[in-house]
Amino acid sequence: MSTRTTSRLASYGTLIGLLLLVVLFAALDSRGIFLTTGNLTNVLEQIAVLAMVAAVQTVVMVVGDFDLSVGSLASLVGVITAQLLVGGTSLPVTILLALLVGLAAGALNGVLVSYLGLSAFIATLATMTSFTGLALLVSNGATVFGLPEGFVAIGQSRLGPVPMPVVIAVVLTLLVWFVLSRTVLGREWYAVGGNSEAARLSGVNTRFVRFTAFLASGFGSALAGVVLTARLASGHPNAGDPMMLMSIAAVFLGVTLSRAGQPLVGGTVIGLLIVGVLNNGLNLLQVNSYVQQVLTGVIIVAAVSLSQFSRARR
Amino acid sequence: MPTRPTPVLATRGISKDYGPNRVVSDVSLEFHRGTIHALLGENGAGKSTLMGILAGVRQPTEGDVLLDGQPVQLRSVAQGQAAGVVALPQELVLVGTLGAAENIFLGMRRPGRRGLANRRALARAAAEQLDRLGVELDLERPVAELSAVQQTMVALARALARDARVLVLDEPTAALTDTETERLFGVLRRLRSEGTTIIYVSHRLDEVFALADVATVMRNGRHVWTRPIGETDDDDVVRAMIGRSPEQAFPERSATPGECVLRVADLAGHTLKGISLEARSGRVLGIAGLAGSGRSELLRLVAGAERARAGTIEVRGRDVTRAPVGRRMAAGIGYVPEERRSQALVMNATITSNIALGSLRELSRAGVMDSGRELRRSRELAQQLRVSATSVKQDVAELSGGNQQKVVLAKYLARNPEVLLLDEPTRGIDVGTKAEIYQLVRGLGERGVAVVMVSSEIPELLGLADEIAVLHEGRLIDVVPAASATEESILHLCYRKPDR
Repeated sequence: MSTRTTSRLASYGTLIGLLLLVVLFAALDSRGIFLTTGNLTNVLEQIAVLAMVAAVQTVVMVVGDFDLSVGSLASLVGVITAQLLVGGTSLPVTILLALLVGLAAGALNGVLVSYLGLSAFIATLATMTSFTGLALLVSNGATVFGLPEGFVAIGQSRLGPVPMPVVIAVVLTLLVWFVLSRTVLGREWYAVGGNSEAARLSGVNTRFVRFTAFLASGFGSALAGVVLTARLASGHPNAGDPMMLMSIAAVFLGVTLSRAGQPLVGGTVIGLLIVGVLNNGLNLLQVNSYVQQVLTGVIIVAAVSLSQFSRARR
Repeated sequence: MPTRPTPVLATRGISKDYGPNRVVSDVSLEFHRGTIHALLGENGAGKSTLMGILAGVRQPTEGDVLLDGQPVQLRSVAQGQAAGVVALPQELVLVGTLGAAENIFLGMRRPGRRGLANRRALARAAAEQLDRLGVELDLERPVAELSAVQQTMVALARALARDARVLVLDEPTAALTDTETERLFGVLRRLRSEGTTIIYVSHRLDEVFALADVATVMRNGRHVWTRPIGETDDDDVVRAMIGRSPEQAFPERSATPGECVLRVADLAGHTLKGISLEARSGRVLGIAGLAGSGRSELLRLVAGAERARAGTIEVRGRDVTRAPVGRRMAAGIGYVPEERRSQALVMNATITSNIALGSLRELSRAGVMDSGRELRRSRELAQQLRVSATSVKQDVAELSGGNQQKVVLAKYLARNPEVLLLDEPTRGIDVGTKAEIYQLVRGLGERGVAVVMVSSEIPELLGLADEIAVLHEGRLIDVVPAASATEESILHLCYRKPDR
């Protein structure tokens, strides 16, 4: 087999891996639940909130950075939303405020990274820590219950057969896809991530462009926080935290599908599906949840190293 | 005739190919004990490659390296050092946060008991090495805080600690002041008297004549001659470095000087000191100077890649001194930077997106890209510049250097610039593409564009430019008409030797 064919195969390896997982679980699932519409809808519903975070994490990774604060920001926005609603603030005002908090947090990260020159890792590690603290302060460290039904519907109702979180995730993902692939800003994001100096010398305002990526990240994380709170019908100060690492993992899995080694929204979606199918399938097979975590890690390493290997050979 | 001593280090018929390019061709040289041997040549003459081969960094395609008359194979820097050949690259490789003592013994078996960091034994051993150089300095202080000459001393001590018999120095005085240079020379003479062989690469001829015993000139990868320093002079060396200039097809010059498009007054930067220049529409202004003369910095300041410390930059009377790159481009400046891959291209993106990167606003409506127009524009430009690629959707990483350069040019030509700044536009490009780029530069001049071109290849400037401005250590030495200049006269100005 020629090197070219091998690398072709490897670059689709992640997609093939997803299909293999589906086939594997379908075969092992003696009760015939896995491939039902109901269960597949479950898979989508389970990854919907994570998909919102992953979509904006993709943007930040396109400009060549990370945002470690996405999960804790979602948690913070979630408890703020819950407290506002419990305190009697109207639904539209609450959601508006929640999204503004997200934009402000994103702007903070953007200023630290883009204008003050901190590394994205350090800056967002610091804000992540502070956001977690703030979330605990706002909620007094406890879960906030008693949310109005109109709000809970955002997370638990359906549009026809499709759960509302899935609808919102699809809309946000399509929006990110459109901006990344069809707009000037998207081109500038990719150019800054590909070669910041070349972009600067081509007249791109690289600082501002990097700043906007963090702004987008703050917005998406806040949206995820709102939907997550509605889905859980309660505000929990740590509810969003695990999404940070999983969103980065999903983007990396997606990068393996990109010829140029750049993050792509489509790739991120495949990465999310792998994560979702894996968790769902292992649940159905009643595999111990600790073992599930171990396996998720193994799969990520396998997929990413396979693609690294094929790239190195090119 | 007395029998000649066996050279410490020698090459026998060394050649080195990079792909189809032969960068060093059949070079046989001898380096003798206790001599300072200067290696001279223009950029691209093959000096660095040859030095790399001597130090074990690179392997020759053909030929042998002989140590004490015996052929050896130096497959790595470590093997070179074990054989006593140590090279000091131009950019010293020291760990800035560690002290001199740590740096000297980095990567070696350290003095003192194995596995334990014995600071006192280390300091003693380091002081011993520095003593041989007649140097004293604070051994604990991070080397990043030391002066340039002190850092060079640390690097030399490091070489001595490795029992270097042959030292290869690449432009060691580039970052030094005159007094520091004198100090370094004192140390080098001292090492020579102890029997160390020093291979010395420098562009500064006055240094070479002050220091070296023997000089070798290389040109286009070949050995031109080796002579005792007393039997040659700088005219002789310059002529050998240039050789007979190869006939190059430079397009005819058309002499219609236009109005002043770019005016730079009292411009100062990191190295530049008070430069005033004008570029006129329809003319090509060449900028000559040695590496470090500030020639690239001049373009970077005008393009907005760096901020000027003083002075003004005007494009058609509009002051752009403080404007960001984007506004300068809008004012009519186009800039092709020196480093294609790191400064000009997004390597993992397509030809189309690279060309479009300079004019995203023009190719979009309400922030949304007009992909059809983008594709048509890039096809037109790629065709006009004869970019050879399977399609404009090919990644630029897959293109040859010449085609990559054409893509960079296309990016700026797409904006119809009034001033085009070119920094080494033909570096690393094959002869055929070079000729095409010459045609293009000439054509731009005819269309009324003011071209400012930096090149280290003087024949290129003579062939293309109308006037040549020569820089030396940040100052403008002279602006001469290209028609009456010769390679020798320009090179003399570059070295700041009065024309004879």
